[in-house]
Amino acid sequence: MNDTWIVAEKELRDLRRDRLFALLIAFLGVATLVSVAVASADFRNQLDAYNVYVANLAQSGSTVTAAAPQLFPLKLLRGGIEYLEILGALFAIVLGYGTIAKEKYRGTLALFLSRPVSRFSFAGGKVLGLSIVWLGVVAALTALSLLAVVTIGHAPIQGIDVARLLIAGSFAWLYLVFWTALAVGLTALSSRLSTGLIVALVIWLAFVLVIPQIGDTMDPDNQVPGGLFATLQIQKSNELAVLAQFSAFDGIRNGLEVSSVTKHFERLTFAFLGIKDQYNQQPLSRVWAAMLPYAITLTAATAASVLFAALATTRRTLQRKQL
Amino acid sequence: MTPSAISTSALSRNFGTHQALAPLTLDVPTGEVFGLLGHNGAGKTTTVNLLTTLLEPTSGDAIIHGHSVKADAAGVRGSIGYLPENVQFYDNLTLLENLRFFARLSGLRRPDARIRDVLGFLDFTGHDNHRVGTFSKGMRQRVGIAQAVLHSPEVLFLDEPTSGLDPEGVRTLRETIVRLNHEFGMTIFMNTHLLSEVTKTCTSIGILNHGRLVHHDSLRNTLAAFPADESLEDIYFQLDSAAA
Ligand SMILES: Nc1ncnc2c1ncn2[C@@H]1O[C@H](COP(=O)(O)OP(=O)(O)O)[C@@H](O)[C@H]1O
Ligand SMILES: [Mg+2]
Repeated sequence: MNDTWIVAEKELRDLRRDRLFALLIAFLGVATLVSVAVASADFRNQLDAYNVYVANLAQSGSTVTAAAPQLFPLKLLRGGIEYLEILGALFAIVLGYGTIAKEKYRGTLALFLSRPVSRFSFAGGKVLGLSIVWLGVVAALTALSLLAVVTIGHAPIQGIDVARLLIAGSFAWLYLVFWTALAVGLTALSSRLSTGLIVALVIWLAFVLVIPQIGDTMDPDNQVPGGLFATLQIQKSNELAVLAQFSAFDGIRNGLEVSSVTKHFERLTFAFLGIKDQYNQQPLSRVWAAMLPYAITLTAATAASVLFAALATTRRTLQRKQL
Repeated sequence: MTPSAISTSALSRNFGTHQALAPLTLDVPTGEVFGLLGHNGAGKTTTVNLLTTLLEPTSGDAIIHGHSVKADAAGVRGSIGYLPENVQFYDNLTLLENLRFFARLSGLRRPDARIRDVLGFLDFTGHDNHRVGTFSKGMRQRVGIAQAVLHSPEVLFLDEPTSGLDPEGVRTLRETIVRLNHEFGMTIFMNTHLLSEVTKTCTSIGILNHGRLVHHDSLRNTLAAFPADESLEDIYFQLDSAAA
């Protein structure tokens, strides 16, 4: 544990002074912030419009109470989640790759391995260091987004919203650690440095872009702008009845989607943040009940990825040279 | 009789079907400066990697300061210092931060006083808080020596330590190697493809040719065994071609 911490601490110090790292994180931060800010501004406009409407009604002496628009402030974070899902995963791979590649490339790895250090301290220290980085990044992004929602959106935030945010933030952290550890393991395994990066990027492409895209394309409701069922004027309850006729098709679609860890992350965060409408008025216990399987699989996937990083990072694999 | 600092028995290593090191049996007594000479690709780095536990032997074993590289790799790692060829340190960290990192990995809990001593010994002061990324090749090589001796190892392994240095840097490094040996009795195992290196610093010499040790003797005997007007270079090629 001591050696592990020595490695992690060195990694954190190194990253703090790393330009590429600063650039990636700043990019992620700005992208998230812009998306949340734009959504918040829109939210505020809707809220203002409603208030003006209510004021006008009152002035005209009407006693009719206008229904408040269904505004759920955490929905504004959707853009931020989508950035984390795609860019966050990509940057996590780049950092995981970089942390191993630089030691191999610079020859410091040989020095490290000649020291009397414990078996898992190298991989452990690297993954621990990057996990701390992602914890910091997720915490900062969450705080900034919350601030944008409150200051720009003038959105009423309650205690339960903060709880939802913290839960979603934890899943975001797990998701990023998954990608970082995967890249660490793949880079350790490959004799040619770029192979590790390329394999990690192919997995990223499949999980983050291709599989969710196929899933979306196969979703009948996505075939018509505004939604197939809405266009056909089919009620939600009837929609389910219609879909039941196509259960095999939907089973395949769902199976495809749940084979991607990204989809798990998305379903979890969309549910807890209430981005998916069916969850935004539900108590947390209901959301947990519905989402528990996904929470378990995401946690298990991350644990497996960390284990893979640890087992792949042996003296033998690390020393593997390009032949 | 001085106990051996390094003692190998039929130590070998293959890469696939290629034999990088043929079974090597070699003794380096404590207190020697041993120079392993050979062309590029002769197997010098492979030998050092085996002795520093970075590579596993295909056959045989080596005992370093009483520890077997096969049975007690951790013991070996605790007794050696190592400077790989062309190592670059962490550019974003300062000299002190780099050295603290390696000192801690070698088990020093409060390394600062020791780091200061070593930097003083190397006449390398005033750069503690400068980033290593700004250092010249010569300065980096001193960082390399410093990290290798911080924990006062019994045996020091240097792989082509003068490669890429300017003449001034080469001279300083030679002096340092001799002083480490004289003042601390450190056994030094050094790889080089430069003949001039071994005559100036080593007490005994081994010559490796295509993975085979073709010569091993003290510097004095090596020079005495051949006509005086012969340069070490001639000796080297003579042995080399006799073996080929
Ligand atoms: N990891 C490796 N995989 C395959 N072949 C290797 C590896 N390391 C070294 N070799 C081969 O072993 C031989 C000896 O290499 P090396 O020990 O690096 O020589 P030297 O240090 O004397 O220049 C060379 O032919 C080299 O190509
Ligand atoms: Mg070499």
